[in-house]
Amino acid sequence: MFWRVLWKLFRASRGRLGVALLALGSGAAVCSALINLQLDAERKLTREFRALGANVIVSPLREARAAGNESPPLMSESVYRRIGALRSARVVAVAPYLYLVARSPVVNAAEQRVIVGGTMLDEVRRMASWWKIEGQWVEAREHTPRCLVGRNAARQLGVKPGSTLELRFADRSEVFTVAGVVIAGGTEDNQVFVNLPRAQELAGLEGRIGLVQLSVSGSPFELEAFTSRLATALPGFEVRPVRQLAEAEGHLLGRIRVLILSAVILILALTTLCVLATMAALAMERRRDVGLMKALGGSMSRVFRLFLTEAGSLGVLGGLLGYVVGILLSEWMGRRVFGVGVTPRLEVLPLTVALMVGVALAGALPLRLLGRVRPAVILRGE
Amino acid sequence: MFLRIVRESFARTPRRKVLTAAALALGMAVATGTLSVVLDVGDRLALEFRSLGANLLVTPQADTLPLEIGGVDYRPVDAGSYLPETELGKLKTIFWRNNIIGFAPFLEVPVEAQTSRTPAEASAARSGLQATLLGTWYKHAVALPDGATFATGVAKTHPWWRVDGRWFADGAAECVVGAALAHRVGIKPGDTVDVRAGSDSSVATRRSATLQVVGILSTGGPEDEVLVAPLEVAQKLAGRPGSFRRLLVSALTKPEEEFARRDPDKMSPAEYDRWFCTPYISSIAHQVQLVLPGVEARPIRRVAEGEGHILTRLSALMWLMTLAALVAAALAVGATSATTVIERRAEVGLMKALGAGNGLVGAFFLAEQALLALAGGVAGYALGLGLAQLLGRSVFGVPPTQRLILLPVILALAVLVALAGSLVPLRRAARYEPAPVLRGE
Repeated sequence: MFWRVLWKLFRASRGRLGVALLALGSGAAVCSALINLQLDAERKLTREFRALGANVIVSPLREARAAGNESPPLMSESVYRRIGALRSARVVAVAPYLYLVARSPVVNAAEQRVIVGGTMLDEVRRMASWWKIEGQWVEAREHTPRCLVGRNAARQLGVKPGSTLELRFADRSEVFTVAGVVIAGGTEDNQVFVNLPRAQELAGLEGRIGLVQLSVSGSPFELEAFTSRLATALPGFEVRPVRQLAEAEGHLLGRIRVLILSAVILILALTTLCVLATMAALAMERRRDVGLMKALGGSMSRVFRLFLTEAGSLGVLGGLLGYVVGILLSEWMGRRVFGVGVTPRLEVLPLTVALMVGVALAGALPLRLLGRVRPAVILRGE
Repeated sequence: MFLRIVRESFARTPRRKVLTAAALALGMAVATGTLSVVLDVGDRLALEFRSLGANLLVTPQADTLPLEIGGVDYRPVDAGSYLPETELGKLKTIFWRNNIIGFAPFLEVPVEAQTSRTPAEASAARSGLQATLLGTWYKHAVALPDGATFATGVAKTHPWWRVDGRWFADGAAECVVGAALAHRVGIKPGDTVDVRAGSDSSVATRRSATLQVVGILSTGGPEDEVLVAPLEVAQKLAGRPGSFRRLLVSALTKPEEEFARRDPDKMSPAEYDRWFCTPYISSIAHQVQLVLPGVEARPIRRVAEGEGHILTRLSALMWLMTLAALVAAALAVGATSATTVIERRAEVGLMKALGAGNGLVGAFFLAEQALLALAGGVAGYALGLGLAQLLGRSVFGVPPTQRLILLPVILALAVLVALAGSLVPLRRAARYEPAPVLRGE
């Protein structure tokens, strides 16, 4: 009986309910799209932030530095392998570095001192996306005689892609072919980059590295968790996040979270408003029905239950429809903003439906006015 | 007659009209609020990105190769060229002077430091600690050519540097010590450090200073290993008064597009003007080179590229979100309008029974809706300004600029959406037969 009456109610005012459903559905679509995007956007944005380069640095502990006689302090290459064992999908790139001050002969001039960074150039490529290369990258990490030269260094040493470069350290000397010139606008412009084994050979420091740079994606929280995990896995070494990046990233992500949240709240408020307006009109229209129900002995609580079930099922329906549209919408938005689709998340579905039921029930408030209906007056036709 | 009906309609049922207008106003308030915030969002986010620090590096044009690892130059004082400090005020005379947020000059001096805590045997041997002293400004008042002053320094270019204690006073014989160095040597605020620079061989070139340690600096970078002192102190130690080696500039920029990457020398005059008058990092670098002779200004690509990359994505995200909020607002307004028309079926029936054509009935309703939309739009704009303040404050901590240009846009949007919302039910109303409607069916 209850359900039959409900069904009739639906059919009788499908125009109105259609408007309410449209409002609920579109509100749900936009909300679920935004929530879905928000969940994914942070992950995507933290990946975008990797364009800024390394955000965690592992180096020998300060105490060890004070005690050790090596200058600059070095550590064993095995640290790099131990970090590699902890490598997860979050870790975009890991690059060890060994710096040395080498000398290079310059035609018609005194020897030029230059900083040589020994690293893994294929990892650096993933880390330093802002490097502009004239010539070619060195794609391998093996023992190769190819090197990259910073822009200023190339000018001072008089080399260009294709030419050879001799580097001397103590009484050793190695000859490299310049594969490309690096334009970075920072310290890198003054340095020469070779692969790690060659640098170690040149310096006579086999198996030693100075520091390891990591580029790790993730929210500031996840990053903190990762650094502490790394620190426990590497006792005796200093693991420190690059604060310049961590702070800026935290700031921006916070701003965006607030912005998306306020957009969702505003849209929910608008949807409620819209449902409220429709339901108010519906209440006016239904005075007769309610009058009749009351005259036939229907208790008010029963009548309310009827209307609330109606509003609730509208909310569920709107939420379901909206979720489907919202997923498509967030997919499209994701493609527009990040160039890749957004993974649809199932946990958004119950959230959207719950939000919409809440909104629909709140919007059904005007139906309470019906409690004041006096059957006799209504049935007389006033 | 037409106007009278409209007027009567407003006078007879003012409450319902107020309700509809209120709904319209709320929808439009949301539209105004989100639009004002998003129009400012590019500038605001660019400003947020300045927490990444400097994006422009200025060095002498004819320089020897810096022996720099992680931001600290290990060259001896007598190698390489220097830049004069007196010219720096000119930075605030370039076309995009207001986009220069701050700048800080740097001068590194290799020193031998001896603290009041150095063990007795070490001080007896007169062998101090080899360290680098970094001279810079914290908050220095730079005199500008127009007579004003501009306070700048690492406070602006390195906002992530933290000091435990306090920063040195400008020009005073004070210094802050990098956390790693302080930890290693055991320096605390309140200690004094004797620093000596210059070669040991000739007493004439030796310069020394006694500095009071006023704070411990933590940067999360290589500067944790150095002493940071006022630029003047470093200049005296280096024997290079009024000069510095490196300048970092933090400027507000627009993300570079295809156009900005082109070589300015190959642009047509009109294109060059456009490039010059857009705050691209490359055009600001160019302008800096024009006012400071003998320098080379280069974008720090790590910061500039990364910033441009993220900024482009973020503003796309913001615009899409605004679009979504606008659609929701439009739907709410449209639905409200639709409801008011459905409500008044009986009136439509009566008008038709009295001989009004569909056109007249439609015109009457649309005129009414348009009036309501205008009233709601104005109220919504006023309300939206308040909302924009609230939103702007909660998101960026600064209220967005008020734009009067939004008012006509919002009004047009309100009218358009209200009319669109009423059209569908009106079309249905046109099909009503007067008799059943009047009977109340």
